[in-house]
Amino acid sequence: MATSKSHGVGGIAFDMPKRHWPNEMNVLIALILIVGIFEVLGHLMMGQSFLFDTSGRSGSIFNEQRLRIIILQVSIVGIIAIGVTQVIISGGIDLSSGSVAGAAAMIAMSFAQVAEVNGNANPTLALAPWATDLPVIVPLVIGILCGLLAGMINGALIAYTGIPPFIATLGMMVTARGVAKWWTEGRPISFPTDGYRVFGDGLMPVFIFAALAILFHLVLRHTVYGKHTYAIGSNEDAARMSGIKIGRHKVLVYTIAGILAGIAAIVLSSKNLTAQAGMGMMYELDAIAMAVIGGVSLSGGRGSIIGTVLGALIFGVIISGFTFLRLDAYYQEMVKGGIIVAAVVLDQWRQRRAALGP
Amino acid sequence: MKKLILGAITAALMSTAAHAENIGVSMALFDDNFLTVLRNGMNDYAKTLDGVSLQVEDAQNDVAKQLDQINNFIASGVDAIVVNPVDTSATEAMTKAAESAGVPLVYVNRQPINVDTLPDNQAFVASNEQESGTLETKEVCRLLEEKGKNPARIYIMMGELSNQAAVMRTQDIKDVMKSGECQVELQIIDEQTANWSRDEAQDLMTNWLSTGEKFDALISNNDEMAIGAIQAMKAANISMEEVIVAGVDATQDALAAMEAGDLDATVFQDAAGQGKGAVDAALKLAKGESVEQKVYIPFQLVTPANIGDYKSKN
Repeated sequence: MATSKSHGVGGIAFDMPKRHWPNEMNVLIALILIVGIFEVLGHLMMGQSFLFDTSGRSGSIFNEQRLRIIILQVSIVGIIAIGVTQVIISGGIDLSSGSVAGAAAMIAMSFAQVAEVNGNANPTLALAPWATDLPVIVPLVIGILCGLLAGMINGALIAYTGIPPFIATLGMMVTARGVAKWWTEGRPISFPTDGYRVFGDGLMPVFIFAALAILFHLVLRHTVYGKHTYAIGSNEDAARMSGIKIGRHKVLVYTIAGILAGIAAIVLSSKNLTAQAGMGMMYELDAIAMAVIGGVSLSGGRGSIIGTVLGALIFGVIISGFTFLRLDAYYQEMVKGGIIVAAVVLDQWRQRRAALGP
Repeated sequence: MKKLILGAITAALMSTAAHAENIGVSMALFDDNFLTVLRNGMNDYAKTLDGVSLQVEDAQNDVAKQLDQINNFIASGVDAIVVNPVDTSATEAMTKAAESAGVPLVYVNRQPINVDTLPDNQAFVASNEQESGTLETKEVCRLLEEKGKNPARIYIMMGELSNQAAVMRTQDIKDVMKSGECQVELQIIDEQTANWSRDEAQDLMTNWLSTGEKFDALISNNDEMAIGAIQAMKAANISMEEVIVAGVDATQDALAAMEAGDLDATVFQDAAGQGKGAVDAALKLAKGESVEQKVYIPFQLVTPANIGDYKSKN
């Protein structure tokens, strides 16, 4: 990870992190600091440890339940954040992911319903009786296809009409939310099949998040796809001159982000055993914030999946920490906002210093 | 009373069968389960009436957008307007706009801040929010006493803190505690918001469970959060026999959870009834008749004993 080499593409070198001290280390230190603050405050305010098991309930040195929830509660937005991270690295932005997840959840869930609940017909039936008790592969594929389609439209708009990513994905954000509401005219869709319940059951969201994070870490670091993504984000003109097919690559980047939103939709609706038109609201902003806190530069070309995962963990620690201290949600939002701004300020400062340095 | 209004309207309708009534409806937001039932209640009712057409718009939780919609309704010459306010403190301007244009206005579900100073051709149809939290809390008290848990330790899950129903229902819990109407002593361990959302409630409950604190009951401001909490407790292998969980709304999901023995009490707010009442009031006002300015549709407690009556209502 601590790469200090430059990659050459078609003879043109572009910027990979050149420091020996990787950016992710700073995020990790921030995470440890925040955990430390909660640990200290826990002892002062609650007479309890934040991370460690002082009651001997679980028979382990850590409070395992808390460790689990810290990760579990950010896993679904985390899946979206993986897609958003590679979009931002490519120099773009994706504002549509939360709405796309909402729409995909509604559509997928309507193919995942059971016919009967407690001996009566499913009271939230979205489509028709033929669409009940289907094999789990049907909603799974449909959910992913919804995300894929939305992402592909985003990418095509950005690559071939030249409108800025902000506008294209803003349009998709509004459109997809409209689709989510229109699908059942706002009614919730509940009571999924046993097969569909698997994706959100227990720690499954964490496993899916972790697997996708590892996969995309490898993809971004070690494949041509990843190298081209960094290249386009660093300097689009240089990348074009070096022979990268910018348009096609951008469509791919946004399509993958869409697929990840589709996967998040399936996990989200499965975990909650329901799909609702308002689902995934503001997830796009949380996802972007996780990436930014994790050191992904909004100007493109820099950042990593590891950083985003750490950013997500910081989110999780803050949510759990505030509940642990029994502090009101108001403070939580204020602190979250402050951390996002601080992360960007820090990033700017580091960039300036790097530019001035030898 | 309702029958009387209905009768009057039917009579009025028959006498003016040729005259079509256009009602503009501005809903706070479409993607809310409860408001969707309310909206469908209005639509279904309007379909049964001859010559009444509804034009329903979505204010998307935006106060400014809602005022624009009302002004657009006025400009297009509707006979009456029904508003489900985005923000209950932003109704002053809506009342003025409709009043100066002479168009009748009916607020539905959320109590406008100027409810006591509404002009004659405006009205308010809703349920008395105070009933919901009170009914819910009293039932929890009764169940706790039945189990012999005194004092009882409870968690409170609140809706969005900027929302009046959340504030009110939480206040109801404390009022019941203070008034001595609770048979057992309630000790609040913690009260937090989960923003009406099942997903956030799952996480909040899991966070609570990670503190290892023992508790006897959860009082939630709505059913979605109660269900989220139940899912989290089940995932942590907590016996639902031991914990009392109560919500508000009586949604289909909540009724299923009650049948499964997980949810102990919920409160039915007659959304469709409110929608119907609002359309009724709007039609009467459009004809220049007078209506009661505050029409209250009662809340009803739902327990495993009477669940059968509610399964087809929401």
